[in-house]
Amino acid sequence: MELAPAHFIDLTTANVLLLLVIGFVGGLVSGFIGSGGAFVLTPAMMTMGVPAAVAVASNMCHKFPKALVGAHRRHRYGHVDLKLGLVMAASAAIGVWLGADLQRHIKSNYGDAGSNLYVSLSYVVVLTIVGSYVMRDAIRVFRAGDTHADDRPSRLAQWVQSVEIPGTMMHFRTAGVRVSALFTVPLGLATGMLAATIAVGGFIGVPGMMYVLGAPALVASATELVIAFVMGLGGSINFALHGLVDIRLTLLLLAGSLFGIQLGAIGTTYVRPYLIKVVMATIMLIVAVSRILVIPVYLYQLGKLELASSTVAALQYSSFVLLVIALATGAIVIVAAMVRGRSTRVPDLKASTALAD
Amino acid sequence: MADRKPYRALVFSGMISGALYLGLYLYHREILAAFTRTDGWYPALPVITALVFSFAHGAFTGYFWEVLGVTGKRKG
Repeated sequence: MELAPAHFIDLTTANVLLLLVIGFVGGLVSGFIGSGGAFVLTPAMMTMGVPAAVAVASNMCHKFPKALVGAHRRHRYGHVDLKLGLVMAASAAIGVWLGADLQRHIKSNYGDAGSNLYVSLSYVVVLTIVGSYVMRDAIRVFRAGDTHADDRPSRLAQWVQSVEIPGTMMHFRTAGVRVSALFTVPLGLATGMLAATIAVGGFIGVPGMMYVLGAPALVASATELVIAFVMGLGGSINFALHGLVDIRLTLLLLAGSLFGIQLGAIGTTYVRPYLIKVVMATIMLIVAVSRILVIPVYLYQLGKLELASSTVAALQYSSFVLLVIALATGAIVIVAAMVRGRSTRVPDLKASTALAD
Repeated sequence: MADRKPYRALVFSGMISGALYLGLYLYHREILAAFTRTDGWYPALPVITALVFSFAHGAFTGYFWEVLGVTGKRKG
């Protein structure tokens, strides 16, 4: 039986173990900040030698069932605004199809190296801009000393909420905002296009819902899982129609990530809201640097840059090390916050048990 | 709060999930070949399979954390 024209790698034991571990940590991050597993998983698979288009496709096919499991769990904690998720997802689905078509166009015109370069450049631009903004906001909240407080809407969100466009106004109860549906359309489109390109629409979606619409960080990160499910499903069907999904990668990622996403979702119930922003921004910025390092490699593969083979190897290795650091940092911050949260919970439980007795 | 841990459900869902992954391991060549075909209904296979695995394995991982006593702090 002939395989589709995409390249499918041989899976070594080391690759399988790596997929399980990064799946778990990626899931942990996704359950916590609503997105973000993918921005680690896609480059990690690319580091293993999986072409970008197959990495994005296989990742997306693992994302939507994972998002479903995560959304269900966070819905139980009252974090999910289903209506906001579905409204955003409607335009995000269109964005995914547009983005996937663009991705295929680049791959057919410039080959795997061109496609890898495009994906890496998209990472760098989006992660740097949005990551810096989210980090600045997290630092501002920390300096103000109100880390226990719920998020206050940004000035932009206050303006967006004040605009009345008759016939388009929608009330999103869990998010606690009333905005025109017209503001959600460009946000959803951008989320979808980014998802199809780098498999992490959440880096537009979550900050968008927080800073443009004014939703709290907890609600934004949980609602993103609904959007991720819808556009992940649409994107996966599109990629599958082109034979790009490597189901082995998809299912190995799921094996680890379903443990992670449940734990990450549980973790959100123990932490202060601003920590979601800290984790998101930290990981985004580290991964951005990791992707900057490999851009010369793809330029070299396209014949646009002269590099010694030792330099290529060093750049790829450094990029991978940074990826591991990003993964580890996110996981450590989340787990540490959970442990701290649990230790404050134990006295609470003891007190309530004593009262019950 | 009496904690009745779902050991039986954990074992049951674990067996289903394990069986699915064993099947993937044993037939991975055939599966990859069929799942990357672009004709007929073949493209539906990866999507449906991912969903099936997530229900079985998702249930298992949920029970896993519950049995370990790792549960959410607040609800609603």
